[in-house]
Amino acid sequence: MTQVTRIVGRSVPRMDAPGKVTGTALYAADFALPGMLYGRVLRSHEPHARLVRLDTSRAARLPGVRAVITAPDVPDVRYGGSVKDERVLARDRIRFAGQPLAAVAATSPDAAAAALAAIEVVCEPLVPVLDVAAALAPGAPLVHEAWASYTALPILHRDRNVCNRARIVVGDVERGFVEADRIFENRFTTSSVHQGYTEPRAAVAQWDSSGLVTVWSNTQLPFEIQTTLAEILQLPPSKVRIIVPGIGGGFGGKLRIGMEHFAALLAMRTGRPVKVMTTSEEELTAAYPRQPAIVEVKTGVTNDGRLTAREARLWFDTGAFAGSGPGVASVATLMLAGPYRIPNLLLEGFAVYTNKTNFGSFRAPSGPQANFAVESQMDIIADALGLDPLELRLKNIVREGEEGPTGQVLTAVGLEECLRRAADAIGWRDRRPRAGRGKGIACGWWTTTGGSSGVYVKINPDGTVALNTGAAEIGTAALTGAAQVLAEDLGVQLADINVVSADTLSTPYDFGAQGSRTAFAVGNACRAAVADLKRQILALASKHLGVEEHALALREGSVVGEGKRTTLGELARISQASGGGLIAHGTFVAPPTPYDAKRVEGHVYPAFHSPSFHAHAADLSVDAETGEITIHRYVVAQDVGFAVNPAAIEGQIEGGVAQGLGQALSEEIVYENGRVLNANLTDYKMPTTLDVPRVESILVQHPTLVGPFGAKGVGEPPNIEPPAAIANAVASATGVRITTLPITAEKVALALRARAT
Amino acid sequence: MTRIPLSLIINGQTHEVLAEPHRTLLDVLRTDLGLIGTKENCLEAECGVCTVLLEGAAVNACILLAAQCQGRAILTIEGLAAPGQLHPLQQAFIDHGAVQCGYCIPGMILAAKAYLDENPEPDENGVREALAGNLCRCTGYQRIIEATLSAARALRASPSSACRETAR
Ligand code: FES
Ligand code: FES
Repeated sequence: MTQVTRIVGRSVPRMDAPGKVTGTALYAADFALPGMLYGRVLRSHEPHARLVRLDTSRAARLPGVRAVITAPDVPDVRYGGSVKDERVLARDRIRFAGQPLAAVAATSPDAAAAALAAIEVVCEPLVPVLDVAAALAPGAPLVHEAWASYTALPILHRDRNVCNRARIVVGDVERGFVEADRIFENRFTTSSVHQGYTEPRAAVAQWDSSGLVTVWSNTQLPFEIQTTLAEILQLPPSKVRIIVPGIGGGFGGKLRIGMEHFAALLAMRTGRPVKVMTTSEEELTAAYPRQPAIVEVKTGVTNDGRLTAREARLWFDTGAFAGSGPGVASVATLMLAGPYRIPNLLLEGFAVYTNKTNFGSFRAPSGPQANFAVESQMDIIADALGLDPLELRLKNIVREGEEGPTGQVLTAVGLEECLRRAADAIGWRDRRPRAGRGKGIACGWWTTTGGSSGVYVKINPDGTVALNTGAAEIGTAALTGAAQVLAEDLGVQLADINVVSADTLSTPYDFGAQGSRTAFAVGNACRAAVADLKRQILALASKHLGVEEHALALREGSVVGEGKRTTLGELARISQASGGGLIAHGTFVAPPTPYDAKRVEGHVYPAFHSPSFHAHAADLSVDAETGEITIHRYVVAQDVGFAVNPAAIEGQIEGGVAQGLGQALSEEIVYENGRVLNANLTDYKMPTTLDVPRVESILVQHPTLVGPFGAKGVGEPPNIEPPAAIANAVASATGVRITTLPITAEKVALALRARAT
Repeated sequence: MTRIPLSLIINGQTHEVLAEPHRTLLDVLRTDLGLIGTKENCLEAECGVCTVLLEGAAVNACILLAAQCQGRAILTIEGLAAPGQLHPLQQAFIDHGAVQCGYCIPGMILAAKAYLDENPEPDENGVREALAGNLCRCTGYQRIIEATLSAARALRASPSSACRETAR
């Protein structure tokens, strides 16, 4: 499909870049108000305990301290997305090391820190539930004794420490295993990794005399935070206004409530604006990092490499609260199927309570964990059957018009092209060029999350255009992409567009910057707005020029026809004088993806909307002595549907791979007895310039019918395949199969040594 | 606590401030002077978002006491180019798509400047080493490195371009 376009499909610089390179762009962490106090949160040292007493009297008397609040000072509300199991401050029970116990506001950060140190905490430690195995053991202590009484989504399957079991059943796995010549059973584990955004979570809250609280925060989901905060404060949502000044990265870590409620409660108490911002230690102990997982995969295959059945289970440690867990466990089942045609499936995802932080969503939640397992196993199968891993995949991948695991019909399936082009680029034929060097491949699929988006598009009297959207720009350039779509359709230049975004009081609703959806959904809402605006413009121009509407055309900021011409600016001025201005409300909601409801249970995400497909290939060497891995080349072929802004998409791929390589090779939040051992950026090892290789991106374009110009979601997928691609390349280079993340040099060296003896 | 008078030369201008002796340069820049282009994250010299130039050398403002900077020249991102102008590094970062969320970018650009001032003909490895103390979680660094190399070429071709007026 070729489309002649002016602005979409081009690598234009992102619109907000000048402000960001000059330091004038404002972020939530920069936001300040006159008279503002500084808030801090006192957090538990115990992973599991009965809270006996909190003595705040000494802290409250310290100089500069304006408020100290504990549970009795805040509304007694349980909140949470799918299970209402969380409170703002611990009341009588402590469920993780890092749980908020009290909050203080003071005139300086130092005074606030001194107040925290002066609060006396008395608690009786309880036996902690340290991991999934302990949580599932017979007679395990319950993280939430009253779990059955909590308000929860009715479709969840909950049982004691399991806050959801999502399931997909297709065909008959037992029959499928009988049909198989070989059955492979493998177990994999992954560790928790932090999103690693460079801007800490931050919020500034201020109440006005009408009882409205405004919170400036770096949330990815202003409208969800509005609802949650209203629930916590026991206010109607209209009394809560969330504004996102700017976000220094989110990657899913800024989806759920962060510092907003502490700032709002402290501001209410003191009558002053209050700012609360996290420290690195708080981020690594008490944020929403990726769930650690245990994955067991049993796959049946014929001798010629046809997959006949898969039974797989994935257990997520969701920590002390359900949070994203039930949903992410659901998505995991779709990822366990992989982008493969397997006639018999029994796939289960569990979200399990433990006494740890509430693990959450991180770029393609569940993707890397499930993909690491199933794509590692594909190579194990290929090696055992003497097949080429690429051929095994090509034999089993889903094709155009086939069914996904829950019965959705797959269209715009660019997977074969992704696999072949990634393999060609990496030089697949020479897969093991010498001892210690090898190439690995992994593929996958992912969703373009739907949800609704609204925009207002207004023509200014000088002919420029205001795009007003409820979505927040989290750094992906998604709003530049949406503005490109708007400029393309409206026949104006990108420089003519100004974006106003993410203010729950004044911008239209948006489902938020999550799930690779912003450019897709906001772009489509822009198209709807332009359709409406064009009607207004042509009707007005027809009257003004005395030319029939059908004879008029919109071209480069003007309306022309029958030799006459007027500009958008002139029409906007006429409309302002006579009809309130040229403005349109464009909306989009992704049409539901039909699926077979009989195949799923406990599932909050039963089909992938406008799915994307991708393949990653790595070429690396392993040092036989130290186990150290050197990546020579890394190739990504990703089916993006249509590349609205190729350079921006390549940037997403490069950054997503870097993050994925961190998870693959070096990153792990290390727990010991329920406490984090490496809660600082020296010991939590994110990749630096010295660690990330050059990433070669191949943009495959199989347009979806739904996305703007055919675009699919692109932000999350690059984060999915790196662990599997690296594990497969390491196995190819050394013959050693690492089944736990991260694949550190020590781990590889030990495995090499174990094999030698 | 007693405050001491400090005279800081920031972006060529002298600022007189009163600050407690334990306060960091970062805190004084952001809180007292409103120079929020210098960013704040780990406060432990581990991420580099607070990078400024002290007498031309890249330093982490989060672990530097403001009192240590008495009378010394400090360059922040706000002073890299005159208002309405862009330094070649800033232009290159825009043109190469090296910016995503942007939170690491002021520190990254200043670390790159300190390096290019000493190494006008850098290679990729040199740039990678010079920027190893600046974390970026969005970009994977590729375009940041390309932008820095490209800015070095622009600076060599026209050394005065460091203060040239640009289109934006
Ligand atoms: S804030 Fe200074 S190095 Fe991180
Ligand atoms: S651009 Fe976001 S951290 Fe570098």
